[in-house]
Amino acid sequence: MIAAWILLLSLGGLALNLAFSQSMAQPDWTLSLLLAALLAHRGSWVWVLPATGFHDAVFYWTIWGNLPWLVVIPLLLPHLDERLGPGLPQRLTLLILTSLPMLFLGWSTLAWLLTLGLCVPVWFNLANVYARSA
Amino acid sequence: MAVRRSGPWIWLIPLVIAVIIISRLPMASSVSLLMAPAVDALHAPVEWWQSFSLWFKNSDELQQGYLEAQKQVEQQASLIQETNSLRSENRQLRELLSVADIPGYHWSAAKVHGRSPDAMSQYLIVQTKGAASDDVVVSSDGLVGVVDSVNGGYATVRTILDASLAVPVTLPGSPLAALLRGQGNSLEVDFVPSQNAPEIGAILYTSGAGGLFPPGIAVARITSVEPKPGEIFSHVAAVPVAHWQRDNWLAIASNAPVTKP
Repeated sequence: MIAAWILLLSLGGLALNLAFSQSMAQPDWTLSLLLAALLAHRGSWVWVLPATGFHDAVFYWTIWGNLPWLVVIPLLLPHLDERLGPGLPQRLTLLILTSLPMLFLGWSTLAWLLTLGLCVPVWFNLANVYARSA
Repeated sequence: MAVRRSGPWIWLIPLVIAVIIISRLPMASSVSLLMAPAVDALHAPVEWWQSFSLWFKNSDELQQGYLEAQKQVEQQASLIQETNSLRSENRQLRELLSVADIPGYHWSAAKVHGRSPDAMSQYLIVQTKGAASDDVVVSSDGLVGVVDSVNGGYATVRTILDASLAVPVTLPGSPLAALLRGQGNSLEVDFVPSQNAPEIGAILYTSGAGGLFPPGIAVARITSVEPKPGEIFSHVAAVPVAHWQRDNWLAIASNAPVTKP
């Protein structure tokens, strides 16, 4: 159910970005939501990664936009959690590292900051939702 | 615990909203605000008279009058918006008509529905009828790109900033035959001889070589010319003359033969 909602909102985000890309500064809504879902629950990679591929295909006409970087999260996070203990520092670092490619894909710094600003509260909220449902 | 979790919500959401609002504020309004005291001084006597006359009206009448006035203001605001939008569309369509006099091509108008979210909008989504892949897309200012794919009444347009596009260009009145390539955020002009390099600010036009692009369409304005020591050709950078980031109407030139009735 959570996945369905996130995917639905992500689709809306894609449309928003395409429709008003030059008329107002806005975050990458879809990337924010998908990153937040992935950071809130590692197991969500099953649907987050395909959705990221779709996002990349729509925006960049290739799947090699943000997807290769997002793949790193479910691969690296278990090892980092094992070594460092589950915590925020490694997640925040991964969040910044995986969203940084936006700047090299033509997005403005403001859009990147807005994406981070949207992702963090959504991530915290989703983490709470996942914790309650567990 | 709950308070600690809600912390980011409290600080980050207003921050995001504030940044969005500030980024949308038109800078011209700050200039207008400088004139506000003078305008206020001129309005003061009228406002004093209105304030004085309000003492003689009851509150219900005032409230009704206020609501009606507010409604009228909202209606007028929407009418003004609609008028501005129609005026802008009309201007763009009129300018497109002057572009569409290149023989051998069938021209049609296309409305822009979406743009890629990168800063320069490397591709567009337009609504059009009868367009086909590799049809040429122009704005009132110059070349935009080519139609990449068509589905139903919509088409995606690959702009000249895309690295996969190369446009043969020339400078009117010169023997220059160069090739313009997209670099994502800018354009690079290849095969420009150092001896006959054009000046900064010169406009390059399509040469018609290759047959894909009609000749004589403005493409790019040269921004830098750097001769390379020991090489025949200079490094030349340019920017597009078309402003597809703001134009809502574009023209599509189909190379297909026009069937006459």
